Amino acid sequence: MTTTTMTAPAPAVVPARGRRPGPTLRLVLAELRLVVRDPMTLTFVFAFPVVTMLIIGGSFGTEADPVFEGQNPAHWYVASYVSVAIGATGLVMLPVRIASYRERGVLRRFAVAGFPRWSFALAQVCVGLLAVVLATALLLAVAAPVYGVPPLVHPGRVLLGGTAGAVAFVALGVLLGTLLPSARAAQAVGLLLFFPSFLLGVGGPPPQVMGEGLQTLSQFLPLAVVTDALRGPWLGLDGGDGPLLGTLALAAGSLVLAASRTRL
Amino acid sequence: MTDDDVVTVRGLHKAYGGRVVVDDLDLDVRAGEVVGLIGANGAGKTTTVECLQGLRQPDAGSVRVLGLDPVRDAERLRPLVGAQLQDSALPDRMRVGEAVRLFARRRGPQGAQLLERFGLGERHRSPFAGLSGGERQRLFLVLALLGEPRLVVLDELTQGLDPAARREVWSAVAQLRDGGTTVLLVTHELDEAEALCGRVVAMRAGRVLDAGTPAELVARHAAGATVRFTCTGDVRGLRALPGVTEVTTDGATVTVRGERQVIAQVGAWLVPRGPVPADLRVDVPDLEHALLALLDGAGPTPVRGAA
Repeated sequence: MTTTTMTAPAPAVVPARGRRPGPTLRLVLAELRLVVRDPMTLTFVFAFPVVTMLIIGGSFGTEADPVFEGQNPAHWYVASYVSVAIGATGLVMLPVRIASYRERGVLRRFAVAGFPRWSFALAQVCVGLLAVVLATALLLAVAAPVYGVPPLVHPGRVLLGGTAGAVAFVALGVLLGTLLPSARAAQAVGLLLFFPSFLLGVGGPPPQVMGEGLQTLSQFLPLAVVTDALRGPWLGLDGGDGPLLGTLALAAGSLVLAASRTRL
Repeated sequence: MTDDDVVTVRGLHKAYGGRVVVDDLDLDVRAGEVVGLIGANGAGKTTTVECLQGLRQPDAGSVRVLGLDPVRDAERLRPLVGAQLQDSALPDRMRVGEAVRLFARRRGPQGAQLLERFGLGERHRSPFAGLSGGERQRLFLVLALLGEPRLVVLDELTQGLDPAARREVWSAVAQLRDGGTTVLLVTHELDEAEALCGRVVAMRAGRVLDAGTPAELVARHAAGATVRFTCTGDVRGLRALPGVTEVTTDGATVTVRGERQVIAQVGAWLVPRGPVPADLRVDVPDLEHALLALLDGAGPTPVRGAA
């Protein structure tokens, strides 16, 4: 039989030395610490965009091609694949992480301990945005010596589109995580949402070689809209303001929906 | 309601999709009590305490915890109630010390003191996934006690633990009891309720069957005793002893059943008849027998009663 040493009962009241940081900040820091401690949870987000970018980016050569709107195909894909990291984070990593927490009773434990309902969601948004930033840095670090990183023609618009796109999909990930009942369900639904978007709207064949139906469909995929908002100003393509406005609207809508589902 | 009333529930009703889980339940817990909510799985115990913690909205009835409404006053109430939940966990990689810092509302030595008090002082840097079942439950106790809550709710605290780990956790709860903490203990382990609770409330199908001290429930619903021994002589005289309701023999084994006093009466009968049989055995019903008797006798519609 295990013997446990129990000391005398502690005094009922211990004088407080001061206030702790707020519960939301404590939760955000704890979640970020856990992600850094267990980077394997980010494997899909880190590895998938890099591996597929290396394969697809080298498949069409490096000569400017009208099929790629007159761009170097490798650069066209490098500029596209930041969205792959965004989609992988929002559609796969976050839903699985949050659903797993709910399945194991972690969310109920946070709720009953008095953490505000939205604080866990905010912590996951921070984790998601960190994942996107790190995955993007890794993607560009690998692309630079292999295909080169194309210069940002409109850096402000790229930053705005990328940030809005990341916020949109991270919020979508939080929403999915609160809706799906289990980690397995989250993984199945997440992958089902991710791969069609990836193939048709971001990292698959260029839209010009697709059939008319698939081309039309790809224009309306949210991840494709985010890709256009990033790739257009990055490469100086003539895409107008539509993709950026669409991405901003997507971010606002996803945030509202996620905020409405903060019940743990 | 007085300052002594920690939990006051009247007419609580909760159904899920038309299935009634808690039905017209009354419950009172006073300051300093350790009250056990007992009953089989599906009796409505967990739903009841979830309503007390504001995790579920009652369909009808009044629930007051420390004078507050658990749903409407959730933010005010949460610091006053410590909770250990059935089937809950922490992230696998979260360390014991980090969990304490995360859940503590104030700076101070309280977390470290509680870890020491519950035998986890050496596990400060251990990840949650590396803790044994007993250590996890003791960590949940520590987290529930951070901030000196006025009420601690413990739901199936020892579920799935081996006997040694159960004893560890019991010892920890006994410390709380001895320190005067008000505890609501939800369990279907009746030996646990008998060992730890000053008062138990027996539930079935969402309703209260009976309430009282474990000894009162045993006396009301399983008051008898059984004495067994080997005897080759004439045992007909046993039937005439006060309190005896039944005497049976199986070969040389004699079984005497009756009221609790048959223990003394049979003993007194045996002593003048030579050496006391070496296999003399007395079976006294415990809370488990009482609850089984209660469930058997309750019929399909339990009687409503204030607890």
